[in-house]
Amino acid sequence: MANHKDEIKHPFNLTHQASEATRMLRSITDDFPDNPEAMNYFYDLYKKVYCEGVSLHENKKIVGTMCVQVPEELIYASGAVPVRLCNGFYTDDHNGADFMPAKSCSLVKATLGMLDSKSTLPFINRLDDIVLPATCDQKRKAGSMIADMGYSVYDMEVPPVKESEEARIYWRRSIRKFAGELKQITGKKLSKSSLKEAMAKISRAQKAYRKLYELRKQKNSVILGKDVFMVTNAYFFDEIESWTEAVNRLNVELEKRVEEKYSAAQRRAPRLLFTGSPAIFPNLKIPMLIEESGGVIVGDETCSSNRMLYDMVSSDEWHLNAMVDGIADNYLKPCTCPIFTKNDDRKRKLLHMAKEFAAEGVVYQSFSGCQVYSMEQASITKALNDEDIPVLFIESDYSPDDMGQLSTRIEAFIESLKAKRRRNRK
Amino acid sequence: MIKNIRKKINNGDLRRFRFWLQIFFFLLFVYGGYLSINLGQNIPTFACGFNSEGQGATCYLIPLQHQLALSSSTLFSMAGIAVLIGFSYFVLWFLVLNKGWCGYACPLGTIQDWITSLRSRLGIPYASYTWEQFKHLKKIKYILLVLMVVIPMGIGAGFFSHDMSTPFCMICPGRTLIPIFTGDFSQLTIDFSSKTKMILTTLGMLITGIFLAGSFFKKRFFCFFCPMSALHFMLSKLAFLKLKKDGSKCTKCGDCYTVCDMQIKEIADDVESKNILQDDCIMCLKCVSACPEEGALEVKFMGIPVFEATVEGYIKRMEKENKNG
Ligand code: SF4
Ligand code: SF4
Ligand code: SF4
Ligand code: SF4
Repeated sequence: MANHKDEIKHPFNLTHQASEATRMLRSITDDFPDNPEAMNYFYDLYKKVYCEGVSLHENKKIVGTMCVQVPEELIYASGAVPVRLCNGFYTDDHNGADFMPAKSCSLVKATLGMLDSKSTLPFINRLDDIVLPATCDQKRKAGSMIADMGYSVYDMEVPPVKESEEARIYWRRSIRKFAGELKQITGKKLSKSSLKEAMAKISRAQKAYRKLYELRKQKNSVILGKDVFMVTNAYFFDEIESWTEAVNRLNVELEKRVEEKYSAAQRRAPRLLFTGSPAIFPNLKIPMLIEESGGVIVGDETCSSNRMLYDMVSSDEWHLNAMVDGIADNYLKPCTCPIFTKNDDRKRKLLHMAKEFAAEGVVYQSFSGCQVYSMEQASITKALNDEDIPVLFIESDYSPDDMGQLSTRIEAFIESLKAKRRRNRK
Repeated sequence: MIKNIRKKINNGDLRRFRFWLQIFFFLLFVYGGYLSINLGQNIPTFACGFNSEGQGATCYLIPLQHQLALSSSTLFSMAGIAVLIGFSYFVLWFLVLNKGWCGYACPLGTIQDWITSLRSRLGIPYASYTWEQFKHLKKIKYILLVLMVVIPMGIGAGFFSHDMSTPFCMICPGRTLIPIFTGDFSQLTIDFSSKTKMILTTLGMLITGIFLAGSFFKKRFFCFFCPMSALHFMLSKLAFLKLKKDGSKCTKCGDCYTVCDMQIKEIADDVESKNILQDDCIMCLKCVSACPEEGALEVKFMGIPVFEATVEGYIKRMEKENKNG
């Protein structure tokens, strides 16, 4: 792609973004004692990428993705690297405000701000294509703005209903078309063996993730939620194989912690699930507040983390079309994104997770201006309340202004969970 | 101890297990006769009786069609009791394996799976039906079942000639193909002794051709149309072996649907039903082995869990697949 901003002002490490990242990273590492050794890989990675502006994926084609529905297997199989562009910087959110109406989603604004910035991350300057699944209104409409900035944008069609057979057919076609687009970009046609290899690569990553997921079911929490968000969030941009290895190393360390009965949180810390709008570095405001207030996040149901890595693809026979169709189904059918018409799958998922993780409460974040998460809120809360699981609904954005008020609410919620536990014990 | 055995089974390689069990049953049903094995003539699967020398058991559809063609006076005499006893044996056999007879024991099913693996080895992709086609085609087996009952009864009542006896066998690819395995090609002919027979045997040859071509491209092509399968389904609620689903654990990931030879959508999409067995299901249990959710799919025998979806098992099998496949 022709570089759309030849007049780059100054290197990334001197930007407001870099100092925002540095501040957050310091908080993540220094505000908590005994971070797992193996987390250093991730802390360093963030430091390199977001504080120092080190480039990634040199000599590779990079395909930016704007939502969790883009099948990364296909991108890897075409010889390119996927990088998820959903962005968590307040500085970018601020800059992106020009593009969107006043009350819009911070994530979309921040992504626009990042893409528009004159001194953005080095790999952003090198994007060969941006794939934009037609999910929520704000993302959808962001597409043409991004195109106007000079990027090449591919609109990937997503059915609004996912239960019907029509949706399946439509989506499978959309994915096959996307495979064609990838060929245009990389010049490499999908082959059975390259796709199989890509599937294996991703499934190794998912296997490592699943292990981590299982480890969080321990009664003694061996890792804090803020760290797991850092791990999964690194999957957005890291080299996948080194990511997998790093997660495996972390798992080994955590297993040791299990044996030693080590607890990363206070022993009585209420166990919480996190759901709703995704927590993306450096906007880990709410997870941090939760764990600073004495709670521990044991699981999450968000597209920056669990939803992105959990569901694994099978194939019956290794034929290209069958593999592509199987992959397609796997990116649509289990997706609990609220842009789809029904809320049932997300409810079921949360109820099941609450049981699996012995969660005592759920924190539901909705970015101010995110309609779909807000609209689903009441029905999800009711389903969970019916099972006697309290929900704290938080509407917030990337600005640090509401920290004080949020921390009061979160502390109160955690206290109420502790009180509830005491009542139940009696 | 039991826990360990369960784990072994849940981590097991279903594909290999099934491959060998199918061979075992194939040998038993197609060559068992040479070892004087005779499991009777009420077997709920296509252990074809036209394979006169080798058969180790006989497909129930032969006696059923014969008995239905008895005149009503015979049926209400002592012979009627024999018919009832025969049916009871059929039911008893069936109850043990449920539709697992199709996934593991039916020689005709096994032949289709062999053809499938030949195709797959040749690198030719399989065909699938669209949902519309599927909905219509799946009715055919019930139509065949009705005809298989009505025509013999018509013979008994004198409406049809005896040339039409065992009408389903006449068009069944089991009759033409299974005897070949013992060197008997005599069924691969057209019977010119009467017009009816000629038509039926010609139809039989035609269907055999369709069977071979169809199952080359479509996995378990014939099973969609099999009247035995329809008959099974009517009794399947009573069977000891059950395919269970716990919808609360299912993420609808669709992996089970992806591997299902019978394109059964409900296996992935239905999160309400506990008993998830559908009429087309052959109980091959591939879905269970492809499901990554702990306990979302489960096989039980008289309430005892025998095989269950687990993450560990899923990953083990997937890694193996990825190496071999
Ligand atoms: S011809 Fe078919 S229905 Fe008849 S006995 Fe043989 S397998 Fe059974
Ligand atoms: S459905 Fe298939 S496997 Fe079952 S009896 Fe019929 S031919 Fe055999
Ligand atoms: S494979 Fe398991 S989790 Fe996935 S859709 Fe089927 S039953 Fe549900
Ligand atoms: S539903 Fe499962 S057991 Fe039944 S045919 Fe499909 S894969 Fe086999």
